[in-house]
Amino acid sequence: MTKDFNLPPLARLAHAGHARRCLSGLPDSQIELDSGRMAVAFYCLGALDLLKMLQDKVSMTDRESWQEWIWEQHTRGKYGSGFRPSPFMTVSSEVERTTSYTDYDTPHIIMTYTALLTLAILRDDFSQLDKQGILLLLKACQREDGSFSTIPGGGETDLRTLYCAFVIAHLLDDWSTINLQNAFSFIASCRSYEGGYGQSAHCEANGGTTYIAMAAMELAPVSTTPLTALEKRKTIEWALHNQLESGGFCGRTNKLADACYCFWIGGSLKILGAGDLVDSRSLASFLASCQFRFGGIAKAPGEHPDPYHTYLSLATLSMFPPPVYENDASGSSWIFDPLDPLINARQETADWARKYIAIKH
Amino acid sequence: MSVSVPEPLRYADRPEWNDVAPVEQYENVNPLAPIFYTNEYKDATDYFRGIIKTGEKSQRVLQLTEHIIRLNPAHYTAWQYRYETLLAIEANLEDELRLMDELAITYLKTYQVWHHRRLLMLQIRKPAPELVFIARTFQVDPKNYHTWSYRQWLLAYFNDANLWIGELDFVEELLNDDIRNNSAWHHRFFTVWQSGVREGEEDRERVLRRELIYVKQSISLAPNNASAWNYLRGILDHNSIPYQKMITFVQPYTLLLDEQVADLVDLENPPPSKSAHLPCASAIEFLADIYEAEGGNSMLKATELWKSLGNEHDISRKKYWEYRIREGLRAIQT
Ligand SMILES: [Zn+2]
Repeated sequence: MTKDFNLPPLARLAHAGHARRCLSGLPDSQIELDSGRMAVAFYCLGALDLLKMLQDKVSMTDRESWQEWIWEQHTRGKYGSGFRPSPFMTVSSEVERTTSYTDYDTPHIIMTYTALLTLAILRDDFSQLDKQGILLLLKACQREDGSFSTIPGGGETDLRTLYCAFVIAHLLDDWSTINLQNAFSFIASCRSYEGGYGQSAHCEANGGTTYIAMAAMELAPVSTTPLTALEKRKTIEWALHNQLESGGFCGRTNKLADACYCFWIGGSLKILGAGDLVDSRSLASFLASCQFRFGGIAKAPGEHPDPYHTYLSLATLSMFPPPVYENDASGSSWIFDPLDPLINARQETADWARKYIAIKH
Repeated sequence: MSVSVPEPLRYADRPEWNDVAPVEQYENVNPLAPIFYTNEYKDATDYFRGIIKTGEKSQRVLQLTEHIIRLNPAHYTAWQYRYETLLAIEANLEDELRLMDELAITYLKTYQVWHHRRLLMLQIRKPAPELVFIARTFQVDPKNYHTWSYRQWLLAYFNDANLWIGELDFVEELLNDDIRNNSAWHHRFFTVWQSGVREGEEDRERVLRRELIYVKQSISLAPNNASAWNYLRGILDHNSIPYQKMITFVQPYTLLLDEQVADLVDLENPPPSKSAHLPCASAIEFLADIYEAEGGNSMLKATELWKSLGNEHDISRKKYWEYRIREGLRAIQT
């Protein structure tokens, strides 16, 4: 199934252009991203980082002023410190910005995770980071059942937020404010009979939350994972069966392939040590077919591209470099640096983040 | 006749809002990924920030937050403030729920719509009509993750015997519409084996028999359906039943149609339908698992089946089947 088709080139330059354009501005049709802009910034800058085009595509001045913008989202207050998604609830007066946040402008766990990674991509030295304050935020967001809410006192709680809290603790190298036992029992409650994990207890197995469960358990400072060999095998089987004939992965049994699930399920397999069982050539060919002719990668062929699917497709390729053959046009366009599959960043960026964010640094 | 939608009146031009000082969003000179807001959104959120500053919670705040939500249903602070306002002014939450019926269908895929509904339900505490509403949304999208997760939460949280009564029939209806709807299969498992287990259903033997017949019938109608095979494995695992017990049922599905033996009416082991695409990869995999568990000489039968999957019936997972063969052979050598 490998050599009988040619791999088209990966349009690296066009994808970098797409990421660069989104960083400069998004049309009004993307209004739903208003309260999640930090994540958009992460996907765009992350895509440039994976493509190793950050230096070429973004001027030093822009990089510095973007760092400054991110630090402006770093806030302190009664629930601890962290980053907000954007200034979408921030008022203009300078005085108010420097005092502590209100209940309507608190830091957000998922946005704190993406802000830390984005700053690492920009090679920030994190000297402004209130590390102890972030530990407090983690504590303020953990619920009794072990799950985490996105913002202190309210908001969504599901596995996604738990993962982000775990990455933050991992980067700080300090787990003192997380109740691991409760967190693990929450993860266990999300396991489904299919072998994957749902978004919260009783929910259907889904690729995104399965990745999160696998990565979270691997990140936690415990000597053995709580999964039995049989459970692991079941998860691996479920994950592998979601790779469809097109080479792409679907997120749930009997659904259609989607570029983002190539990352979520591919990443789960990588973490489970089963990455080499994935057919990386047909996977690359699926992602090639999701390329939009003017740059960017879409969730499926013929759809419109967005930063989320573009980044996750490139991250997938960083984990699963396809074998390239002589008859492939531009085989070199498919070569990437390795990715840290647990925190979801280029290896070098992940190492930088760990080095500068760790509390003992 | 042309219908033009008039631009809504700005808050700045509405006398009833002139006591509120709008507050602009603060942006750095070089913002990251800015969104080019429409004037309408900018105007509404300026007044929303103004309201938050004074802490006002009133009827007009409900209008304002509804306006913002309709422009951007993911604006979680607008939802948060709206909910607090509803409680503060003791608004009629059932009215709010009716408004949400419309918004939920318009913004089916937005998390906040369902989160808000959950908060309302924690106050109203009347879950039964919600199940009817959800059934209606499934006509639009029968696999919507948020909706299913809301339904599962309602059932498990309120966990009232009456609430569960129609659940199995409901699942069957959805499976009749689409036998490959994995969300419905998942919900079946949740209902029959997990939170839905009710008093008076302690006779699990009877339930198990019923479910085995159901899933086998479903496989016989459409053998190439991963959801049904996963359900079969799920109930066997859950009840600690060895896969071996299914060998009579599974074998015909691993053969070509013309290799099938004569029809015998056997409810326990329904044969593949005449139109089935055979052999079925899921059945071969299942049979190989049976042989693998038997070990010894049967392991070689398992490796033969894996070989046929990798070379013929499930080529895209060739690497995986080769791995199973290696692992299997290693197991019998030690
Ligand atoms: Zn997707």
